[in-house]
Amino acid sequence: MTTDLGFWVLQTLNALQLSMLLFLLSVGLTVIFGLMHFVNLAHGSLYAFGAYVAATLAETLGYWGGFVLAPLAVAALGAVLYFTLIRSQRRAGPMAQVLVTFGLIFVAVDATRLIWGDLPIGIAVPALLDGQIALLGVEYPVYRLFIIALGLAVLAVLTLILTRTQIGAMIRAGVDNDQMAACLGINVERMFFLVFVVGCALAGLAGAVAAPVLSVTPDMGLQILIPTLIVIVIGGLGSLKGAVAGALIFGFVQTFGAVLLPTLSSVLIYALLAAVLVTRPEGLLPAKG
Amino acid sequence: MFTHTPLRLTTLALLAAGSLSYAYIAGFFGLEILAEIAILAILVIALDLVAGFGGMVSLCHGALLGVGAYAFTVAATEAGLPALPAMLLSVALSSVLAFAIGAVCARSTGIYFIMATLAFGQMAYSFVFQSPLFGGDDGLSGAPRPDLTAIGIDFTDSRAFAVYTILLVALSYLIASATLRSGLGRSLVGIHHNEKRLRALGLTVWRAKATAFAISGALAGLAGCLAAQHTQYVSPGLLSWTVSGEALVVVILGGLGTLVGPLLGAILFVVLKHEISAITPYWHAIVGLILIAVVMSRAKGVFGFIEARWEARSPKPVVKEAKADA
Amino acid sequence: MKSTFKAALAGLVTSTAMLSAAYAEDIKVGMLLPYSGVYAALGQDIDDAFALGLETYGADSGVTFEIVREDDEVKPPVGLAKTKKLILQDEVDVMVGVVSSGVLGAIRDTVDGAGVPLIVANAGNDEATGEQCSPFITRVSFSNSQVNRPMGKWMVDQGVKKVFTIAPDYAAGRQMIDAFTTAFTAAGGEVVGQEWPAFQKTQDFGPYLANAKASGADAVYVFFAGGEAISFVKQYDSFGLQAEMPLYGSGFLTSALYVEAEGPAAEGVITALHYVPTLDNPENAAFVEAFKAKTGRIPSEYAVQGYDSARALVEAVKAGATDRETLAAALPKVAFTGPRGELRIDPATNNIVQPIHVYETVAGPEGLTQKVLATLPAEADPANGCEMPVATN
Repeated sequence: MTTDLGFWVLQTLNALQLSMLLFLLSVGLTVIFGLMHFVNLAHGSLYAFGAYVAATLAETLGYWGGFVLAPLAVAALGAVLYFTLIRSQRRAGPMAQVLVTFGLIFVAVDATRLIWGDLPIGIAVPALLDGQIALLGVEYPVYRLFIIALGLAVLAVLTLILTRTQIGAMIRAGVDNDQMAACLGINVERMFFLVFVVGCALAGLAGAVAAPVLSVTPDMGLQILIPTLIVIVIGGLGSLKGAVAGALIFGFVQTFGAVLLPTLSSVLIYALLAAVLVTRPEGLLPAKG
Repeated sequence: MFTHTPLRLTTLALLAAGSLSYAYIAGFFGLEILAEIAILAILVIALDLVAGFGGMVSLCHGALLGVGAYAFTVAATEAGLPALPAMLLSVALSSVLAFAIGAVCARSTGIYFIMATLAFGQMAYSFVFQSPLFGGDDGLSGAPRPDLTAIGIDFTDSRAFAVYTILLVALSYLIASATLRSGLGRSLVGIHHNEKRLRALGLTVWRAKATAFAISGALAGLAGCLAAQHTQYVSPGLLSWTVSGEALVVVILGGLGTLVGPLLGAILFVVLKHEISAITPYWHAIVGLILIAVVMSRAKGVFGFIEARWEARSPKPVVKEAKADA
Repeated sequence: MKSTFKAALAGLVTSTAMLSAAYAEDIKVGMLLPYSGVYAALGQDIDDAFALGLETYGADSGVTFEIVREDDEVKPPVGLAKTKKLILQDEVDVMVGVVSSGVLGAIRDTVDGAGVPLIVANAGNDEATGEQCSPFITRVSFSNSQVNRPMGKWMVDQGVKKVFTIAPDYAAGRQMIDAFTTAFTAAGGEVVGQEWPAFQKTQDFGPYLANAKASGADAVYVFFAGGEAISFVKQYDSFGLQAEMPLYGSGFLTSALYVEAEGPAAEGVITALHYVPTLDNPENAAFVEAFKAKTGRIPSEYAVQGYDSARALVEAVKAGATDRETLAAALPKVAFTGPRGELRIDPATNNIVQPIHVYETVAGPEGLTQKVLATLPAEADPANGCEMPVATN
């Protein structure tokens, strides 16, 4: 089995697919942290909200309606959260932030149960992306390739924005030193808001993209939270490159661990995280220095 | 610096008298809740010791509790040890594990420390969850309660068991407050305020942090032994990071860094949970809202609020007493 | 005089028995179900159908049933605390419920020690009616082995020679698959590979599906339930495996509760279970109609378990049981024909004996429906180390 080239191709694609999904989730969280020093444990709940909105809209507007509107709905929710909770907790230190957003998780899980019920929801893969395609000698689901492509596209767009545009330069300045950036006349408040809302929208997008592959359940936000945190801590909080590296490491360790070392698979990723934290306490590719 | 103000001593005395007299009059279910509160109280004392005074916000205390519970169950059932040696052994194991985690994480601060402890906690959780040796998802049953029938005490009786857990809360509190008043405690608080200065003064920072974490871990392990004895059943859920999260909630709710406050927090949390869950299955949301409100209010929890009011009323004697006490 | 003396001697222990003897017309039922957490929907189905069962069969029993509900949150310690509350504070005559095997394992000794009859309305761990059996625990739902064992021979008879199995890595997953593979290999089949993804932590089954594909098996046999079942069925289809390796499994995979969420991906999946809502018999027709009228939902296997729990309780009461002791003695003796077919309790283990239905999920006029392919005869589980003690209270 492991001598078969098809096996490696297939599992590599699976690993990439998982990595890209985690990248969509973690990039928002990590940039928000880098810029605002805010830890949002409820980021997974935003992802779940996105998945629910996408699943609900898919019934009336079709998959693509949900795909477009779910990130916007999550961004709107993010804006509400920003003004009610996030802004006032920004300087309150990591513990207050962890606790407020931990409380938010409790509220979010029960809110989804109240609105959408306890039963898992599922939606179909859009007709356009249904079926399999032959690639390097293996048959692979088109929809999973779409997830990989979407992740790469988002990565490309974010890289362009951060390195080539004025707002990108402002964000980078803010990550380096937000007080200095404010002195240079950058409207830091507006930038924080913008980054937070875009991060939420990306979480919503991840939810909408994951909905046809997974089942949409009230606890999906909690389930994805720990992997997302592992990704950004391994990669280094606050850095785009770190999010990419962390997501790839997680995706590949998880996928190949599951099939090659099944007995160790669940401990493997935590051991890796611990090793990274011991040797590089700020992650592999931290935003600063 | 931790001091016993008159308010704190009064609160402690009231808590002790209140819990013991409640243990005397309570019905069966009241006694179950009392034991539940006592076990949570030991865990939050352990957590406040490192988080409130040392600034080490840990998300692995649930795992330390779980390790204590599992170690006790395995030692008492598989290895056939009597309850007391089994307890000592599992407390020691939790403590050693905590020392190792504390030593490894000592370099990290803030959010990195939280994440690192989370990683170690989840590692323990996954290990227990997957290992068939520990019954996997189904857990292990049969943890015995200490047998003191020789001196006429029967712990299968809920009342005796509740009193026993309350006495161990008192013991845990004494250990924690003694630790805080010792040289180690002073170093811990000093590190929290200015790690560089303490390092410049020649203190081995990592060792102080790890030792404090080990003492905290021993208390968490004790709470685990009691949890195993209380339900006579252990399951991987005990090690989950949400247990650590809830313990942190209780510490904040009661008053971080006051040692007395978390005791009040434990009572409030358990009673609230039972009262609200009797009304609605959506009790998590209500607890979540209360938590958000407490943190947003910036009060140092319930006890912090009481202390602030108290000091506003009679500032001078409290300060004097505190100094004399220190 | 003598009786007063006796009662005083027995003290607290019999006070509850005396209480229920004094009000023989009332039976207090303690319902222990998950009303929150991942199994909340299952708890609700059991609860609704139990109420329906009491309305349907209990009306002419001359007894009033009072129900005390407790939420076990699918957490064993919580379930245990709530059990103690129901037994010691509410002093219930009988307990009904328990969805998770973990919770059942945690409360088993307490229920057994207190001598309170428990009607298990879901939890299927083999031990509960095996080495850990109790005269006070009667199961009217199923056992993990029971629903999987018959598929072993049936699949070989259908020409399936080589299978690949996948199930979550926890006790129930292993029991379900082991019961199947034992029967499958005994009938001449061959297991060419097995995968055990981490329970409740695996959402992406892609890596395991790739291994299944490479194994050269004729078919894949799985056990998954709930959200994992939905993800699995959809992902299996998305890899295009259904055409080359048909998917078989334990019937929870395509339960009526989840099949809508699985959508067209579930078409053609063949599974076996003790109940499907499309069973063609008058008892089932009446049940489906009444349950739909009451809740607007199609009854699931969980619903029928709740319904039959109520029926079993009423039958025991009609047989003259009035309190914990007599209910415990009467419950294992009940037998009736319900929506699932002919049911009885095996006195050797107190586990239900029932036919198993093999069904295929097919597209119907109103969405997906279940086409029953075969009904395999009822077969009592082996005693599995159960030495049923005589009930003493």
